[in-house]
Amino acid sequence: MNKKAFAAILALLLTLALLVGCGQAAPATPTPVPDSGDTPAVETPAPVQSGRAASNEIVIGIAQDLDSLDPHHMTAAGTQEVMFNVFEGLVKPNAAGQIVPAVASEVQVSEDGLTYTFTLREGVRFHNGEPVDMEDVVYSLTRRMDGADAAAKNVALDVISDVQTEDDRLILTLSEPSGDFLAYLMNVYIIPMDYEDLETHPIGTGPYKFVSRAVQDNLVLERFADYWGEGGKVDKVTYKILENNEGLVLGLQSGALDLVNHMTSEQTSQLSASDFHVEQGSMNLVQALYLNSGVAPFDDVRVRQALCYATDKQAMIDLAFDGYGIPLGTSMFPSFSKYYDDSLTDYYPHDVAKAKALLAEAGYPNGFEMSITVPSNYSPHVNTAEVLAEQLKEVGIQVKILPVEWNSWLSDVYTNRQFQSTVIGLESNNMTARKLLDRFASTAANNFTNYSNPEYDEILARAISSVDDAEQTEAYRQLERILTETAANVYLQDMADLVAVRNGLNGLTFYPIYVLDVSTLYWG
Amino acid sequence: MKKKNWNGFLIAGCVLTGVLVALMLLGKFWTPWSPTAMDAKAMYQPPSLTHLFGTDKFGRDIFSRVMQGGGTTLTIALATIAIGAALGTLVGAVTGYFGGIVDDALMRLNDALTAFPSILLALLIISLVGPGKYNVVLALGIVFIPSFARVMRTQFASLRDVNYIISARLMGAGQLRIMTVHMLPNTMRTLLPALTIGFNNAVLAEASMSYLGIGVTPPDASLGNMLRDAQSALGRAPWYAILTGVMIALLVFGVGLIGEGLQKRDQEVD
Amino acid sequence: MNYVIRRILMLLLTMLIVSFLTFLAFELVSGDVAQTKLGTEGTPEQVAALRHELGLDQPFLLRYGQWLGGFFTGDLGVSYYNPQPMWELIGPKLGVTLILAAISFLLITLISIPLGLLSYRLAGSPLDGLRTAFNQLCMAVPPFFIGILFSWFFGITLKLFIPEGFPSSIRANPGEAMTQLFFAAVCLSIPRIAMTVRMMRSTVIGEMQKAYVRTAISRGNDRRGVLLRHVLKNSLTGTVTFLAQTLAELIGGSIVVEQVFGIPGLGRFLVAEIRALDYPVVQTIVVILAFWVVLAGTVADLINQRIDPRLRLGGAK
Repeated sequence: MNKKAFAAILALLLTLALLVGCGQAAPATPTPVPDSGDTPAVETPAPVQSGRAASNEIVIGIAQDLDSLDPHHMTAAGTQEVMFNVFEGLVKPNAAGQIVPAVASEVQVSEDGLTYTFTLREGVRFHNGEPVDMEDVVYSLTRRMDGADAAAKNVALDVISDVQTEDDRLILTLSEPSGDFLAYLMNVYIIPMDYEDLETHPIGTGPYKFVSRAVQDNLVLERFADYWGEGGKVDKVTYKILENNEGLVLGLQSGALDLVNHMTSEQTSQLSASDFHVEQGSMNLVQALYLNSGVAPFDDVRVRQALCYATDKQAMIDLAFDGYGIPLGTSMFPSFSKYYDDSLTDYYPHDVAKAKALLAEAGYPNGFEMSITVPSNYSPHVNTAEVLAEQLKEVGIQVKILPVEWNSWLSDVYTNRQFQSTVIGLESNNMTARKLLDRFASTAANNFTNYSNPEYDEILARAISSVDDAEQTEAYRQLERILTETAANVYLQDMADLVAVRNGLNGLTFYPIYVLDVSTLYWG
Repeated sequence: MKKKNWNGFLIAGCVLTGVLVALMLLGKFWTPWSPTAMDAKAMYQPPSLTHLFGTDKFGRDIFSRVMQGGGTTLTIALATIAIGAALGTLVGAVTGYFGGIVDDALMRLNDALTAFPSILLALLIISLVGPGKYNVVLALGIVFIPSFARVMRTQFASLRDVNYIISARLMGAGQLRIMTVHMLPNTMRTLLPALTIGFNNAVLAEASMSYLGIGVTPPDASLGNMLRDAQSALGRAPWYAILTGVMIALLVFGVGLIGEGLQKRDQEVD
Repeated sequence: MNYVIRRILMLLLTMLIVSFLTFLAFELVSGDVAQTKLGTEGTPEQVAALRHELGLDQPFLLRYGQWLGGFFTGDLGVSYYNPQPMWELIGPKLGVTLILAAISFLLITLISIPLGLLSYRLAGSPLDGLRTAFNQLCMAVPPFFIGILFSWFFGITLKLFIPEGFPSSIRANPGEAMTQLFFAAVCLSIPRIAMTVRMMRSTVIGEMQKAYVRTAISRGNDRRGVLLRHVLKNSLTGTVTFLAQTLAELIGGSIVVEQVFGIPGLGRFLVAEIRALDYPVVQTIVVILAFWVVLAGTVADLINQRIDPRLRLGGAK
């Protein structure tokens, strides 16, 4: 009798204590911070968001921390995407995909394409208030050229044979013409001369200035009032780092975040339309099953073609991306409309019979076993690999998926080329078509797929040195066709870039490269 | 008290575990649907008579995947405790029986391994050998050695000076024979509950590893990586996460009850 | 005295082994930080140059020796990614995790000791089975799964806290920070409470069956008095050891829970830094964790010796 009552109380106690009593108990927990005693623990998200609109700030969720705050050391696309708002070069990209003057106000190119003259813009200031002068510009350029700082060196600048200054003009002489030279200058971010604290307190000239950073947690930027151009509209931008997929969704729903880009349709489908709108752009990358042509069986063009026929791109996009994404047939995406050849997209229609016939011809009538290496932290690529594995099964190819950490991918796949195939997206971080195509030159250091084709090498060399635009364009298109015809890789899609934006926040602008311009965002 | 071999916990635990294990064993040979077949027209279907547990992001039948993935989880957990218990018993027997410098050295190493949070140790081992279900077994197996070693060391040390062991030694039994024939059977009462706890920890650890992205790799299913998958779609298909979570909980619960039952039986035998 | 020296030696030895194993693991892991830092744009020459700059081209044992030397002179090295003083980097995260561990530990102690002591009274009743089953159930749910459900229920539905909205520092919004830490602590504690109750219960039952207790009760002492005066004291040493072990394991458990709640603590940081191959940071955190584990064991020993002076007589058993 007594026992029963006791047991009931016990059960109740356990349940209450463990599950429900928390709200009440919260203020009673030990607080090392002295002034926290009377702060109410309960806070509803609603005032937070309206509060952010009122105080004119936004919080953006990103999936990985920045690899470096030093603009000449950052390599991760995710870092460039953020720091685009803090740093500028002499020239910078705009949303239309053009290269426009930034710290320079004017660029003149000589007729032979060998001399570039930049006029320094007047009134450009660093975030510490100091004006930008020619010494800073030369210092920044030299830091990326001379290799004293190994990580900062950009080999593409080796083409510069001479650097001269004349009052407010910088004159660069090239050893040979280079059609894409300006594009490579975009990443020569201008920094103050001999400034030591770039890694902890970076200073640039962009519309937003660095305020603070907590490693693996957040980064805070503030509007730079003395920006030379139009500048930003939002006063404060906080980037919050949340590595796990559901974290970003939860963060949006809870009101912790206002904007997240590069979302999957699975993630955006969980958001309520009354709070968010989803804007769709394109990632501008070539997602493909990249094949190592240096190893059997992918050294046989028939096997590669069989894989292309066996793959159903659209079905893959429907399954793993809810139908969002533009199918591709070669190493080029539609944003580069000048070079993009849409007729290559359906060069290999889904055809299981043809795939099997090609495999039989190549000596694999019963298929074979292969592995797909994927970076495990990119769930879209892992999902893609999973669907491909299922599709290839139909023609008798047994696929083993090997998800690896990003650093293992970099060293094993990208550097040491120890892999059979991999699903990845390759981008052009400087808006040039060349970037997408020159990695397939047989001697290119970044030719991780070991693609080797003398005809390709020859046309590529011609394209690069060409100063005639029409001729160069034609050569690039030819290269794309060769990649498709020789089935260099199983080309899949240009992935959709889904951006969840809190209602009330406007002005999102898509760029043809991997950046998120926060200066165009505004509440209202 | 009278000797009683069965009690409520043991029965309930065995029935629950038996049903689940039977389902998972069946999954090795037959599932209602192919666990990998995808269907773009049937993504995230709620539970129905066609798909008992609904479908996942690729339109795959979740129930079939639970049957198959449960098997993978079961195999991982069993293999893990097999490695952990075998090597742990070996270490425990050697250190407990002989004592002295071997004991000191091995137990210090044991302490050091314990000082690694187990998830960190697993993370390091996985980044060393790469992901995949066999490597998960390897990582967890290593992680589980120290706890078994500790338990078994105490057992062997306490048995060392027991009368019948001393007499066996006087009668000329070899060290190995004493340890395996005379001592090992007497440690079973401690080992069996430790095994059930180990099993449960292994199931939960597999789930945690999958959550951190270092568990069983797709397209293989395991309860852990299904739960991880389900979480990223919690708002879209809540049943997926809940049903998978419940399956993990039931499996662990069933074996936990067996453990309780075993312990209770031993107490009653006293 | 002798004991103190032994303990310190043990601590050093453990940290030595742990740091060496970590060092070895990083040596064997595929991929190196120079490559990771330079990403897809790095040329082989750049990678080699950066390796040299970071000292990665030196022999393995020499590098470990340098790290050890640095460690004993108070130099913890510099992160490959964030060249600020190590303590500035780790300090705030350690603080968050310590608070999380402290709340969890308080919850565990305050809830499980009374429950454990009282639960023996259920022994033999039919409800005992129910209690045991409930206990087992609490241990059967993966903590991160409870965390996800908590985030949805208490965060999104009841709006008690903002999931993934941990303030930039505890000072910035102590109320929100402490609420989040509290819920995370509850997730972390549930299985441990169940385990502790289970352990306490069997200890108490074992103790109650002992002759001295039966004698005391048969002499007319009241049951509760006996329980509090004798049984509690005698089952305390085992409990203290168990709780110390719990304290040690809490830090490990926080790795997953911090990930779920988006709490910027040491565990989440550790996972990210392992992925980034940021060896100096990982090494420092691992050593802190090892120190923590050994410290917890030492404190438990010292407390037990106060409770039961017999343990002080050198008997390591």
